This record gives sequence, C-alpha cells and structure tokens, in this order.
Amino acid sequence: MNAVLEVSGLTKQYDGVRAVDSLTFSLAEHTATALIGPNGSGKTTTLSMLAGLLRQSSGTIRFSGAGKDPRSAIGFLPQYPNFFPWMTAIEYMELAAGLTGIGGRDVRTACEKTLGFVGLGDAGKKRIGGFSGGMKQRLGLAQAIIHRPALLLLDEPVSALDPAGRREVMEMLKEIGETSTILYSTHILNDAEEMTDQLLFLRSGKLIEQGPLRQVREKYGGSGFRVSFSDREAAEQFAGAAPWTARVDGPAVMISGDAVSMEALLRFASEHPAGITGIGRASVRLEDIFMKVVGKP
Amino acid sequence: MNQYRLFLGKEWREQARSFKLFWVPLVFIFFGALEPLTYHFLPQILESVGNLPEGSEFTLPEMTGADVYASLTGQYQTVGLLVLVLAFMGSLSGERKSGTGTLLYVRPISYAAYYLSKWTSAVLLGAASLWLGYGMAATYIVQLYDQVPDLRDVVLFLLVMAVWIVFVVTLTLTASASLPTGGAAGAALGILFIGMMIDGLVGTYWTWSPWKLQSYGLAYLTGGPDTGDLAGALIVTAVLTALLALFGILQARRNAAKAKV
Amino acid sequence: MSITEQLAEIPWGLVWPLIAIQFVLMTAALIDLNKKRSTNGPIILWVFIIIFINTIGPILYFTVGRRHS
Repeated sequence: MNAVLEVSGLTKQYDGVRAVDSLTFSLAEHTATALIGPNGSGKTTTLSMLAGLLRQSSGTIRFSGAGKDPRSAIGFLPQYPNFFPWMTAIEYMELAAGLTGIGGRDVRTACEKTLGFVGLGDAGKKRIGGFSGGMKQRLGLAQAIIHRPALLLLDEPVSALDPAGRREVMEMLKEIGETSTILYSTHILNDAEEMTDQLLFLRSGKLIEQGPLRQVREKYGGSGFRVSFSDREAAEQFAGAAPWTARVDGPAVMISGDAVSMEALLRFASEHPAGITGIGRASVRLEDIFMKVVGKP
Repeated sequence: MNQYRLFLGKEWREQARSFKLFWVPLVFIFFGALEPLTYHFLPQILESVGNLPEGSEFTLPEMTGADVYASLTGQYQTVGLLVLVLAFMGSLSGERKSGTGTLLYVRPISYAAYYLSKWTSAVLLGAASLWLGYGMAATYIVQLYDQVPDLRDVVLFLLVMAVWIVFVVTLTLTASASLPTGGAAGAALGILFIGMMIDGLVGTYWTWSPWKLQSYGLAYLTGGPDTGDLAGALIVTAVLTALLALFGILQARRNAAKAKV
Repeated sequence: MSITEQLAEIPWGLVWPLIAIQFVLMTAALIDLNKKRSTNGPIILWVFIIIFINTIGPILYFTVGRRHS
C-alpha cells in the first residue's frame, strides 16, 4: 500500500520539555488512523505539526500526494475551530475554497453541497456568530474537506457533539474515508473502535503502542476465550465444570489464562455441549486496552 | 493575486460589519467640524461661560484659515493617531489570539497577500478618514474665515499628510504582526510619540524624517516648504514604510505558529 | 440674555452636523452592543460610557469595549 504520510523521529521541544518525542509512523492511503491518548499527551501538538502550523524541533514529515505546497492537499479541523463571527457560513466556505486554490464558477455550488453534506444546508446564509458549538464543528469539517484533501487531520472531531450528532459525523467521516486518508485524535474509544485501521497510542508525547486494531487487541486481550450460551443457567453449569479460571458474564463464560489452548477448550466443550451457541476469542474492549497501555503511569 | 483579492474582500466586509468603516471617518469628520467652529466662536464661548473679571477687555488674535488647519492637524496628530492605532492594533494579533487565523494559516496562503490586503484596506480607510475630516473642516473654514488658503495648496498639504498616515498605519499593522494586541498598540504609539518628542528636540537638524511631514505639509498653506527637505522626508518615509511592510509580512509568517489551535 | 435668545444665537446650520455625528456614533455603538452583548467589562458600564461621554464614549466602545467572540 502507498504511504500518504511518513513521519520519522518527529519531535517538538518547548523549553527543554519534549511535548512530542520521536514519533515514527506512516499512514497508508485511504485508511483511518486514531490517535489515542489522555489530555496533554501531545495529540494536538502532533496534528499541528503535520498541518504545518508548528515547525518540528527535529524529525521529518514526508507527505506524498501533493504538488509544491502540501497544505493544499491537507484538510485540518482543530478541536475548537474559530471562525469570523461576522461572516456567513457560505462566505466562509468560499474564502476557504478560494484560499486553497479552488476557483471558477462552480465554487458556490461546491460550497453549498459541502455545507449540505455536513448538515448545514439551511444555515449557509446565517452569520457564524450565532452558531452553536455543534454547528461550528460541522462547519469546521466542511471547511476541512471543501478542497477534497488527500489527508484529513481532525483533532477530536466529535467530542463537542451530542450522541446523535456524533453518530452522524462518524458516518460522514466513514464516507469521506473512502477517498481520503484520515488521521484523527480522540479520547472517546467507542469512536476509535468503530472507524480505525490503525491505532496510535500516545502518552507524554511518546508513541507507546501502534498497530492495526486487531493486532493490538490480540496483544492486549491475552489468550482468553468467550463461550456463549443460550441462557445464563447453562453458562453457570459450564463454568462450574470447567477446570480453568472461568467467569460468567451474562449468558456467556469468559475463560482466561495462558494455559488454555483452543484445542483443549473444544474438547471440553464437546463433552459439555449443553446450551452452547458459540465459541470464539474474547475481544477486549479498546477501553481496557487503553487503561492497560496508557492509563497506568 | 487571487488570494489578495479574496483577502481584500474579507477585510472590506469585516470593516463594514464591525462598523469600522463608519466610525473611523466619523471621528475625523467630527473633529474637522469642531475645530473651526470652536475657534470662530471662541470669544462668544468665553463670554457666555463668564468668569472674566468685570470690564476686562481681551482680544484674540485674528485666526486665518491656515491657522485652523494647523490647529486641526495638532488634533489629528494626537487623537487622530490614537484612533487609527486603536482601530488597527488587532488586525493580525487579534486573528492569532482568537484562533480565527489558524484556519487561514493551515491553507497554502501567501503571507504577502494576507498582510497587504490588511494594509490596503487600512491605508484606504485611514487616508479617506483624514481627507474627509479635512474636507469637513474646509467647508467650515470657507464659510467662517476671511483668509483661506488656495485649493491647490490644500490638496498638496493633504497629499503630504496622506504619506504620513500611510506610515502610521503600516507601523501599526507591523506591530500587530509582531506582537500581541496590547503590545502592538503600545509599541506603535510609543514610536509615534517618542518620534514627535525627538522631532521637537532636535528637529531643526533632523530634517529628513517622517515626523517632519506634517510641518512641511502645513508649510504649503503659508507659502511653501523647502522642497529639498520635503523630498528627502518623503523618500525616507517611503523607504521606512516599505521596510516596515516587508518586516510585517515576515513577522506574520513567523508568528503564525503562535495562533491559538 | 434669555435662554431663548441664546439658543437663537447659536448658528444651527453649522452646529447640527456635530450633533448628528454624535448621535450616529452613539446609535451605532448601542446597536452593536445590543447585538453582541459581550464586552470587556460590564455591559451596563459601556451603556453609560457610550451615552454620557461625548464622542469619545462610542470610540472607546468600538476600540476596546468590543470583544471578538
């Protein structure tokens, strides 16, 4: 796969403190990558450097997919986008489009279409000063995608939205992700779980874990299994009979421990088949991984 | 060029919608009307205020039109400059502080277009306000005073003053590009007023300076300036203005990293 | 001299533009204040400044009173 962005040894130093410390990763074309980390872990600083707002102290950012100015192929949405309150949404979009080199007769149509896409179709002629936080977030997304950027950088794109709005914007991002490469920071792990090909865990400016969601899951999920049953009673019976550490979790049994092999589990299950509806690897929630990877000091 | 046009449209709309387009000229026009009126009716005003000892006879020197222009220029050199600096001190620093600049700086913008669009609109508004103010004064002066300067001399005076205003506005914008809003206002006003003090002290020897422009301009109304010194001062001011603008563009680019994200 | 005589002596033709400008500046500042309702410092203070400090009041509001949201 083609790498759209290759980052190597990216470091930002403020007064001797390394806010971002030697990050190395790459983004493959048309993938979505979640940058995960607690507040103050350097997510915003990283995105600002990639967007060209901040100059890195050391390290390289190689961006393939743009001509002379990479900024014309990058879309950026800050966590709290700020707009000129006296402008209308459509005026702002036209300015944003024009500054990125989109000209001609179709600009207005394109701007209206993009505003419609983010759900601001009716608000185009209204002054941004009267927009709610959620509307500003949507306008922020619209200005970030108006020039169809190859790379989209989003800083906490949905954290300011209510659950319904969050859902809606995630769907938009999935659609955009079909033609763009997306790197977004988040601390809401449900979102990351839903739309991600790659995870980057950041703590105190350092990249402490990275990889595809599946790989990270396997690594931190241990070798647990999940056996599901038709009812809780059957699950409890199975757990009581099992020779391993087993925990009943609703109508299912979680079996942990490295000593268990799939083969041994299947053999045992064939001897106690009552009520079994499925057997599989236990999938750990991202939140648990987050606590394991990032949460502890 | 396209970016310059876009930014200029944005600046224009911003000036209109923030009322700047109206109140800056109105302030200059206000003083332009007030000054000639005050001087003309000063005897009556003093009389009606009273407080003069009984029977005290006092005569004011006869004012000419040129005197009123000079006095108004004094006003504009204090209140006028203050208004212009306050009006434009946040042009760039405000966009960094509020974060509205952030979404501009992540785009492939030319900082020259960015700075110069602000410069153009500020210079136009500043010069137009100044001229409207003097224009208002002129309509009063021709009605109220017997001795008035020729139109040609007034026009030359206004052109010289415009060069000074361009210098003032450029200084303010470059300060705004370099410093936070408060610091920008302080730096611009500091440089302007310290320059005037230095001019007051050693102006006789320092004949080629921007701070000399107002007195050279006024000299047109009372006979005419030393054209050699005027040319020198104009050239020095033009060079300083160009350097300030260039420095402002560089500072705008350098300080983009300080924009709130 | 009575007040009416004094009023009659004022050259209104020359003075009214000054009053008009004052009024326009004041109105513009008050309209803007009403629209934005966010100032540096208490709003009521700015209302008083705009109305009672001639000319300078509205200018002060436009330069330092307005807050960019």
